[in-house]
Amino acid sequence: MSASPSYGSRPWTFYVLATLFTLFVIFLYGPMIAVLILSFQGPSASLVFPLRDPSFMWFDELFNPRRTGDVVGAFNRSLPLAILVMFLTVLISVTAGFAFRRRFKGATAIFYTAIASLIVPGLVLSIGTLVTFRYLGMSANWYTSALGAHLSWALPFGLLIMFAVLGRLNPSYEEAAFDLGATKWQIVKEVVVPIVFPGMIAVALFGFTLSYDEFPRSWLTVGTKNTLPLEIWTMTTNVTSPALYALGAVTTFVSFIVIAVALASIILIQRKRFRGK
Amino acid sequence: MAIPKSAERSEVGAHQGSGEIRLVDVTKKFGGSYAVQNINLTIPHGSYCCLLGPSGCGKTTILRMIAGHETPSSGEIFIGDQMMIGKRPVERGTAMMFQSYALFPHLTVLDNVAFYLKMRGVGKEERRQKAEEMLQRVQLDHLKDRMPGQLSGGQQQRVALARSLITNPKVLLLEEPLSALDEFLRLKMRGELKSLQNELGITFVHVTHTQPEAIALADMVVVMDTGRIDQADTANVIFDRPKTPYVARFMGGQNVLTGTVESLSGGLARLRNADGATFEAATGALEAKAGSPMSIAVRRDRIKLRKRLADQVLSAVNEISGIVDSTEYQGSYIKVTVDLGGGVFVVNVSDSEYFVDAVVRGDLVTASWTTADVHTLSKVDMGAIDDPYLDATQ
Repeated sequence: MSASPSYGSRPWTFYVLATLFTLFVIFLYGPMIAVLILSFQGPSASLVFPLRDPSFMWFDELFNPRRTGDVVGAFNRSLPLAILVMFLTVLISVTAGFAFRRRFKGATAIFYTAIASLIVPGLVLSIGTLVTFRYLGMSANWYTSALGAHLSWALPFGLLIMFAVLGRLNPSYEEAAFDLGATKWQIVKEVVVPIVFPGMIAVALFGFTLSYDEFPRSWLTVGTKNTLPLEIWTMTTNVTSPALYALGAVTTFVSFIVIAVALASIILIQRKRFRGK
Repeated sequence: MAIPKSAERSEVGAHQGSGEIRLVDVTKKFGGSYAVQNINLTIPHGSYCCLLGPSGCGKTTILRMIAGHETPSSGEIFIGDQMMIGKRPVERGTAMMFQSYALFPHLTVLDNVAFYLKMRGVGKEERRQKAEEMLQRVQLDHLKDRMPGQLSGGQQQRVALARSLITNPKVLLLEEPLSALDEFLRLKMRGELKSLQNELGITFVHVTHTQPEAIALADMVVVMDTGRIDQADTANVIFDRPKTPYVARFMGGQNVLTGTVESLSGGLARLRNADGATFEAATGALEAKAGSPMSIAVRRDRIKLRKRLADQVLSAVNEISGIVDSTEYQGSYIKVTVDLGGGVFVVNVSDSEYFVDAVVRGDLVTASWTTADVHTLSKVDMGAIDDPYLDATQ
């Protein structure tokens, strides 16, 4: 050890970790940025860099399809499905979260049963769902079998978030409301839901994006009409034009909007709570 | 807090009748263990009552059962002349202030205070006006549009008080109300609580584990030990004449001594302890038998302390000898801890007396007192139960 005082120069580990983090960020966003740039490819229709004669022609191709698949139709199925999954995930997670606040017999078993579906491979679950539906004489459809398959994926996440949020909720709030004459329903409506609302938005966000982006669990469960991720997959095998990139850019954009709206509303609520009106 | 005389009490939900609380044979079990057992207690209407005891003694459970947040396993709870078991807090005429204050984080200060009225379906204008009046009484109306997260601890507590008082309760229940405040605010709020209770004339039940807080505030102090009441009386009696060694230790200010009764005559018992020192005590109502053990208490501030020469022999009654272990300056007095070999003995010497001939650590000293300052305990001391908390005294 040297006797001279140290004024906090950075250790070598800082540079190693900073490099690692930079690589991580490049891997995280690099592909997305590459797709975004190439979606503006010109009439050369080249699938690789460099970008020549930038244009919007492939976005136009997307919405007025000549050679690509039914992108608009797929979007019109994916969006309602994602919204439906979002609402059901919030509803079920929140009510289940309330139930689990009181420890009841078998609570742990039920919790693990709900969470265990996360470890089942999506493709296997897809096959299983289809086989079961066939056996029951029902046809696979995006709003039946695919909805169920998506819920099996989104619900465990929603439950985990809601358990964490409600677990942190001080029971004194509910007792104080009860002390002030609130009925059970008033306690939920006037106190608990407003307090955990940011958590509910987080659950909604997970419900939406997990369904909107889901491929393996959609694969055999959507029936004859594709959702967006399946449509993209089909296009990778059939379509060899930058329209593929344009589609990637548009779907990513939709996801970003949803995340931005969710985060903005959480921040707004928190700000209101700590800075007043 | 100072409440302007002109401010009238809110008429909303006015509760008629007495705020006397009566617990009859109340027992509460959690799983297999008793939180409180066979509690019998009457808190007079309009009194300030402190439930005092270490954590886990069941004081909060009693408070929550009076409030209606916990149901007794058996027994009866009356407020006024009405049986309260199974009734909702608002029907009981109680209001509880939680230790964490539990102010709703999503509502403004004004809407927090107006919450009770909102639950009763009072219109927005009316309830906000009433809540504002209540906030004026706690001098916080200028903060009515703030959120609870923006307030200091003391302000939050006033809001919590206003929110409780708007229900116009017969009984205000306070769960460790001062524990979250710093020392300065604690003393200030302590005074304000006391004058608020005087002003309102309703029953206050205040749970605390701090002895000075209970003594300073309460008309009635209830000292609790693991699920039972050891003594319930005025602060003065509890401090000056504790009934049991536990109360004497917990309240502090007392030295507990134990010896074997050697002789009895004229209502006086003569005890001899293991070290051979002899004490005298008036037996009072206690039935003492020669040959049986007995415990007595002597107040720390009623004891004379003097230096002792090494060859001096201890002979007098009501005298004990040891080596000074530590001295602690307390301003108006000095707390001198004497090591007796088999225990400690604490003497509070007034500063004027102390500095005449100051003792220091290691000095051999003799402590003496008069029989009149000895107080007999109803139970034999079983030792300080290796609980540093019990021996920690102001």
